Amino acid sequence: MAETHTPQAGDDAAPDVDVVALLMRQHGDIRNLFDEVEAVSGDARQDAFRRLVRLLAVHETAEEEVVHPFVRRNVTGGDVVVDERLREERSAKETLSALDGLDTGDPKFMPQLLALRTEVQEHARAEERYEFIHIRRSADTAALASLAKGVKAAEAMAPTHPHPGTESATANVALGPVAALMDRTRDAVRRAMGRE
Amino acid sequence: MTFNPLEQRGIPLDRQLRNWRELDVTPIDPDHADPYTRCRVITMNGIEVEAIMFSHQLARHCPDPDVKRQLAEVRYIEHQQQKAVNWLLPGVASVLETTIAYEQVAVDLTAWIARMEPDPYLTQAYQFGVLEDFDHLYRYANLYEMIEHRKADAIVEGLTEVMPGRPTKFHHRHPADNVRDPYAKDETNPLSKLHALTIMSAEQQTMNFYMNVGPQYMEPIARQLYQEIGLIEEEHVTHYESLVDPGETWWEQLVNHEYNECYLYYSFMEQESDPKVKAIWELHLNQELEHLHLACDLMRRHDGRDPESVLAPQLPNVLTFEPNKGYLRELLDTQIDLTTLGAGYVRDAHERFEKMQEQIHGGEAPPSERVMAQHQEMFGREYRIETEGEHPDPALREK
Repeated sequence: MAETHTPQAGDDAAPDVDVVALLMRQHGDIRNLFDEVEAVSGDARQDAFRRLVRLLAVHETAEEEVVHPFVRRNVTGGDVVVDERLREERSAKETLSALDGLDTGDPKFMPQLLALRTEVQEHARAEERYEFIHIRRSADTAALASLAKGVKAAEAMAPTHPHPGTESATANVALGPVAALMDRTRDAVRRAMGRE
Repeated sequence: MTFNPLEQRGIPLDRQLRNWRELDVTPIDPDHADPYTRCRVITMNGIEVEAIMFSHQLARHCPDPDVKRQLAEVRYIEHQQQKAVNWLLPGVASVLETTIAYEQVAVDLTAWIARMEPDPYLTQAYQFGVLEDFDHLYRYANLYEMIEHRKADAIVEGLTEVMPGRPTKFHHRHPADNVRDPYAKDETNPLSKLHALTIMSAEQQTMNFYMNVGPQYMEPIARQLYQEIGLIEEEHVTHYESLVDPGETWWEQLVNHEYNECYLYYSFMEQESDPKVKAIWELHLNQELEHLHLACDLMRRHDGRDPESVLAPQLPNVLTFEPNKGYLRELLDTQIDLTTLGAGYVRDAHERFEKMQEQIHGGEAPPSERVMAQHQEMFGREYRIETEGEHPDPALREK
């Protein structure tokens, strides 16, 4: 049986006019990459882990630039909701940076990866249940679509699989340090949202 | 097997109450747990929910205040058991994820029971039903990939195939055609009573689950699919509950419930791979043994009959979660086009069936068809897991 491949959010044919639906699919993409890192070994694991780190960086940057500001501005009590999410994010980032220095073959790698996976998964569900629900309640169709545009601009910075025909394009070359990637993502989002 | 619940004593009832710390169980891992551990958790939750609701109904029909008090005491413990069992499900799992696990339960539990059932009429009832659960799994799996970009295989892990069964749109029958004939309580094999009670409880829990979680979704197709499949669960509960002989007295039914709980906890304890979960099955078995003895005393006192006269002389073979792929493929090959007429089964779409179909679909494609169209649009393919080759029915192979 051929392995069914689920494309990354943005690469399927969904209209992507709803930022919440888009982010929920991206949460699934992240979970798929965790599965992949666990399932393979050697260079394949190294490669899958790099893609996971990039997607996490880009996804969190997009949320910081697009989603959290919207909730702070438009939702009563939004500051509290966002602060709680940022606290979870910071904790996950600390776990991630401890992991980032390790070789994927290091015996300490898997336990650390599983700890990160738990934190990321709990954070993602908390966003879906306690933050996104407010976005759907308080954003109209146009706002949902405009927020989605910002998130899509970000995710173009971290394809989990090379886009056919664009292998040599900037987005697919070795991306360098995560911090630089986050900076570039931030710029791309701001351009897309018209607030350069 | 030598285990006879009637000859064992468990934990005395006044020592069964657990405090908050003891009820605060550690949930199973959403990404690494044995899929059949999850299935056992979902099954036992359904069994405990039935135990609780049955006891409430019995209490409402019981004029004796002393008996009512005893029922309340046992029921409170059953409720703690339900809490300990269902709280093994992890909070980070999504509703759809849990739904797919519910359908895996429905498929592999019903298929196994169909294989083991001694009475051919009852076997046919399970064979008929399982092809519908099988199709629900396939529809929900496609919805899951659309909403969460996740594959159902991350949940069922290749133990259960995901592909079309009897198409969901054809499950909507006239309600009168969902009522089966019951087994005869004094002639049937005692194992048949346990099977019927188990499947009825599992389907009832699925019905309760869908009727409550369906509206939590915001996506229109998800809301609509839960409505459609939720109504089929109503048909399934009608189908399976009508297999039980209504001539069984309340006390006899109570004994059957408690005996079945002993049987299932014992079965799951025997095969559990997760030691923490196994410890729960073992504790609950030891509580149920005492509940069974209390129920037997009530039956002796109120019916003037010996419970041994309605129970098996020893526990049947352990009820097992295991793949049933070959068996299901055989049913897909031979029974996909069946529907019901009265208490029997036919291959032709009869008048009452067609009228019901016409009315409920209102000339439009139902949600179970639209979910596939929308999935196709999004991914240019369907979601299936066919580990044993192409679909046995050429008409249901992916185009």
